Amino acid sequence: MCLIAFPILALFTATSFGELACRFGSPSVLSSVLISLETSLSVVFLSLCLGIPVAYLLAMKSFKGKEILDTLVDLPISMPPLVAGLALLILLGGNSKFGRLLIDHGVDLLFSKKGIIIAQLFVSIPFLIKSTKDAFESINKDLIKAALSLGASEFRMFRTILLPLAKKGIYTGMIMTWARALGEFGATSMVAGCIPSRTETMTVAIYQNAMSGEAPAAIAVALLLLVFSFTLLLVFKSRVRVQVG
Amino acid sequence: MLLGPSGGGKTTALSIMAGLVKQDRGSVFIGSRDVSDLPPGKRKIGFVFQDHALFPHLNVFENIAYGLRQRKIKRQEIIRKVDSCLKGLGMAKEKDKFPHQLSGGQKQRVALARALVLEPEALLMDEPMCSLDTMTKEIVRDQLKRIQRKTGVTTVYVTHDQEEAACLGDRVSVLNKGQVDQTDSPFGLFHHPRTRFVARFVGTNNILRVGVTSLKQQEAIVHVRHERIKRVFPIRVRRYPLFDKRKEIDLCIHPGSILLKKKNGVVDDRLNRIEGSITHIRSNLHVVSVNIDAKGLALQATVPRNRFSFHIGEEIWACFAMDAPHPLCGRSCREDEPLRKCGKMPPISVWRDDYEC
Repeated sequence: MCLIAFPILALFTATSFGELACRFGSPSVLSSVLISLETSLSVVFLSLCLGIPVAYLLAMKSFKGKEILDTLVDLPISMPPLVAGLALLILLGGNSKFGRLLIDHGVDLLFSKKGIIIAQLFVSIPFLIKSTKDAFESINKDLIKAALSLGASEFRMFRTILLPLAKKGIYTGMIMTWARALGEFGATSMVAGCIPSRTETMTVAIYQNAMSGEAPAAIAVALLLLVFSFTLLLVFKSRVRVQVG
Repeated sequence: MLLGPSGGGKTTALSIMAGLVKQDRGSVFIGSRDVSDLPPGKRKIGFVFQDHALFPHLNVFENIAYGLRQRKIKRQEIIRKVDSCLKGLGMAKEKDKFPHQLSGGQKQRVALARALVLEPEALLMDEPMCSLDTMTKEIVRDQLKRIQRKTGVTTVYVTHDQEEAACLGDRVSVLNKGQVDQTDSPFGLFHHPRTRFVARFVGTNNILRVGVTSLKQQEAIVHVRHERIKRVFPIRVRRYPLFDKRKEIDLCIHPGSILLKKKNGVVDDRLNRIEGSITHIRSNLHVVSVNIDAKGLALQATVPRNRFSFHIGEEIWACFAMDAPHPLCGRSCREDEPLRKCGKMPPISVWRDDYEC
């Protein structure tokens, strides 16, 4: 408890309230908040679209290479974010064939919000996949058989039985993914850089301000990030408890 | 009725019938309809699962309506059908409850209603009563029998419980390692098992290895092949599989056909008898089950409780009538004479537990 509370309290005591209030309203802080929210929520949405089918495949189907796919999904969790960022930078950069192809088709992902989203997605999607997969696996297989024997197609069974029953796991995965995306720094700064008002997320803004001696601005963003995360997590968790419990 | 021990292939057989597992070979027919390649929903079957498999996030009404919704039936029709089904099962008041708010018996009825509301051509039930307590089991069993009679739906019921099989089944098949060992009426199965496996599974552990000494028209004289029992006795062979002189066979005697007599008591001369002592007594509500050690040969007898007056260690005669022993050679005792002919017996050393002659 102390381990968590003391560092947070230290943030509040490092500067005056008046100074903080002044920083909260500054355009650079607001822009970093908006970029962080926009990108992290996009990542949650994309994770749902891409992660749930992968979780379903891993939990319900048997196929060749399943173990490899499962390990690949886990890999970004154990990979240092800077390594992930570097890998993405190489892949999406003009020196790789894939990056060249994208640029030729007018898609430039580096140093843009799209780049931030890709970097955040890369490091945070495994949380949603793992949580959803565990939720699918914990569902009694007889329920699936019952739905099929009652005439449901596989898609309807998935929509009417699996999804509602895996809701808790999916919500947990969403929270973890969102929190990870919001706090992402290493991969994001490698792929998108630190362009103020364009690619400067909250974490990047904290780093930039702290390094350039703008401690009050760094603290203001850090506190905003903290309050924001805490409130959203609290609301989300209580909603999940009400709906699932 | 599919009866067999765990791992015998009962649930797999049922899943193949339902289309939930694809068969390696062969075909599945429901009536005259080949459903081998149809998905489960198109087979017109109802499936009741071991743990009921009620959808926990749907209430009773929605659980029963689930199958009807998949068939795109009109809303009013769904309401009418589900309500009538719930009324028939005495569950009308519970229609808004969720599965976790129901008792075991109620869950069972909802699972049954969910399967029957689709008016299936075949109802498949996978040990549906294994999680119920004895009292609820009896109530549900009666209800199930009544519903089955009323609807007339062909029902395949999987169980490992012999009592359930005897109470509910018209025809019982015993499954052993994926193979049907015997299909018979419950009485035929319990009193005339055809193989060692079936005999043991239905609780008839009295198996005597005998050699045929002589044969008359309806009678065979056999001698017990046991190093410490030197007894010769006649058995009736009129309805049983035919066998040759000098052949070795296994005879099975139903525990209920063994009569216990005190060693110093009077024994009817027409009865065969083996001497032994009582080693274990186990009594239940109506009968007493007695284990007997007949010079190394284990026998079992069930005696009505009101006629039981023995104690452990007492020397007794285990008596049985001429027509009590039944040969275990894989042949039915009711088949035509040519079909009752026993095959070649293997040498004693290669006999397996479940070998059919």
